[in-house]
Amino acid sequence: MYDTSKLLLQRLVRRIPTQMLKATLDKWGRLTVEQRQAMDFTQSKWALTQKLLSVCEENKLTLTHLAELEMIHAMENPNQGMWYTFQLLEPENDAQSVELTQFKQQFKCHLSELLRQMSVKIKKHTDEAVWIRIALGSSFSKPNHLKPTYVVHYLQTPYVFVRNLTSKLKPLLSQALTLATRHQGVKEANLSGRNLTSIRDLLMRQYQQVFPTKYHSPPEEEDQPVLNQHIEKEQGGVAAHRRHMAHQAFGDGMLPQLQSAVYMLDTKFRDPNNRTMTEREETFKCVVKFSSINLLESLRSCASSGIASAPVTPLLSSIPLKGRNYFVVTDNTPGPSSQGHQTQN
Amino acid sequence: MDPLSESGMRTPHNGAVVQRRSKTRSYRQSYRSCLGTASRLGVTPALTARRLNASRRAAKPQNLADKVNPEHLALLVKAEWQLSYVTPLYQFRHTQLRSYSRQLAAFIVAEKQQGLAVEVSELHNSYRVSLSVVQGLTESEDDAETVLIQIHSKPMFARQDEPQRSVWSGWLTCVHGSPEYLRSLPKDFTCLPLFGSRGPEYLSRVVKSWFQKTFDCCFGSLEINHTSLQWFAALWTDCHSQSHIQHLRMLWTIPAAPPLQITYTVDPQDAWDLWNSVRKEATAAVTEDAASIDLEEVTGFLQALKSHFYRHFRLDLSAGTLQQVSTALGSAKSSGRIKMSNSRHVIATLTLLTECALLRMPI
Repeated sequence: MYDTSKLLLQRLVRRIPTQMLKATLDKWGRLTVEQRQAMDFTQSKWALTQKLLSVCEENKLTLTHLAELEMIHAMENPNQGMWYTFQLLEPENDAQSVELTQFKQQFKCHLSELLRQMSVKIKKHTDEAVWIRIALGSSFSKPNHLKPTYVVHYLQTPYVFVRNLTSKLKPLLSQALTLATRHQGVKEANLSGRNLTSIRDLLMRQYQQVFPTKYHSPPEEEDQPVLNQHIEKEQGGVAAHRRHMAHQAFGDGMLPQLQSAVYMLDTKFRDPNNRTMTEREETFKCVVKFSSINLLESLRSCASSGIASAPVTPLLSSIPLKGRNYFVVTDNTPGPSSQGHQTQN
Repeated sequence: MDPLSESGMRTPHNGAVVQRRSKTRSYRQSYRSCLGTASRLGVTPALTARRLNASRRAAKPQNLADKVNPEHLALLVKAEWQLSYVTPLYQFRHTQLRSYSRQLAAFIVAEKQQGLAVEVSELHNSYRVSLSVVQGLTESEDDAETVLIQIHSKPMFARQDEPQRSVWSGWLTCVHGSPEYLRSLPKDFTCLPLFGSRGPEYLSRVVKSWFQKTFDCCFGSLEINHTSLQWFAALWTDCHSQSHIQHLRMLWTIPAAPPLQITYTVDPQDAWDLWNSVRKEATAAVTEDAASIDLEEVTGFLQALKSHFYRHFRLDLSAGTLQQVSTALGSAKSSGRIKMSNSRHVIATLTLLTECALLRMPI
């Protein structure tokens, strides 16, 4: 047990950047005033770890306290690791009135019925999100605090974001969540990304959107001098139209950061030049993955520069529209199907 | 422009200065003028520059296990190699490989002492170099035999009985090089235009500079261009009936802001069917030489894949660059890295790469 605490503390100190360490420790509040003043944050991380270990021994802090510290750090830095989205289905009549204490109690109760060895912590963040940290054990071992699962849920919305979910925990978590939030089921929402804030913004439409209008807004001030009057006369209108369509499909201003989008294509090959393939019975199966440091920005710039023809195809514009980045495309559905797939664990 | 006369005077090793005062008739023809239009004015290679072969034979898988030393073969297929082209080597003798090994080992140590080849993390005090001939890779008589170079070393603070590990490997090869060009080379020149290396960069630099000093040749980086990558996609797909390729994966980069990367992976059976459909249509008329593949078929294949993509995403892949092609048989990157994962198709891959190297050479 003690070794795990040491290991966890070492990992935490290594992971938390030094400038944030002081603030995080203060928030944790488990150090006395003298101990806090005695910490010298200009030392190396190794020295800090040793100092903190002795402080923890002094204060008789346990693994659960360290788990608290980890949770505080995770809540301050949500944009790490890979988050997967789930959606709660079929709310019951009183789903809207579930509030924090009721949720906490119900969730802990249901989960502990299903699992013996586990450690659950629930905290509410300043932006109304409920953070849950679950460390799972088995009938033979204590909870594994080195590989916790984090769940983030916004009450009164159907969205749940999970990081580091194991296949063992998945069915139990689904059950506990549906019961605690008064819904009937939960399904995968096919949206994943590294940035929690971005996928949340995408789902809840918290970015600047452009709605289709009949009359385009007046053109903005050109900040670059027009290079060639003739080109501008011919291409200006077309370029402005393309730009407008691109912004309409993806949004204005800063866009939420997605890293990738995957399409499993299972459609028939249709090409007027190639009769053999067109007559073929089987579908043409392929997988297309788009990746970029900011996928929506890249796609928007492809659309405005003309690499992607305007109007933007529904396959690409579904990413912001439906808030997903995993699609299975078949011939039967007019657009991307909403079938689920196996979880990536 | 006759660099040969100078090079004859510069090679110091044999002492005897070989006069290369070339007679009017025996100009060594530049590779391009061998293949391209006979232009007696051809001092500007760019005008007579030929593209890669517009058609080549379909790759036949060859079981190399009985022709090539299995250890060497295992070495070739297990790693990813960084490619360079090499100009012909002057007075390179396959019989003197042991002497070359000793010279190269001494050269590495000397470079280290001069402080030119220093890698902070690795402190090695002794190097053992072995150059060996890999027989069985070449088939035609004009090709020189492949040479394998391995550098073994032990870290400075290792125990006495610890064996030396291989820290760097490389090879020089010529597989199905153009016979006209190879025959037009003067007697003392050996053409091994393709160089592959794996290992720390400083050792690659040292090996290259030793070769440059000893055999008066030039090394240059060999990027695999777009056409060659398309050839790889087609050739490897063509092998699907003999060795299962598992997938055909292509990586494109689109110049958006920020840059967009598209990975397009095609199911192997579908790729194979598409490839066959393209071949059947193109060679419907000519049936005699069914074993040869034309560039048209290759571009048709890629175009079909791109149009399928366009039908769904309305994004033209031609706007971007093809960076990488990979299947279970190997992977080729435009930066000049190649991995040959299946020993049965090594010869086909090396043939294509030898051609790229010969074209890329400046002389």
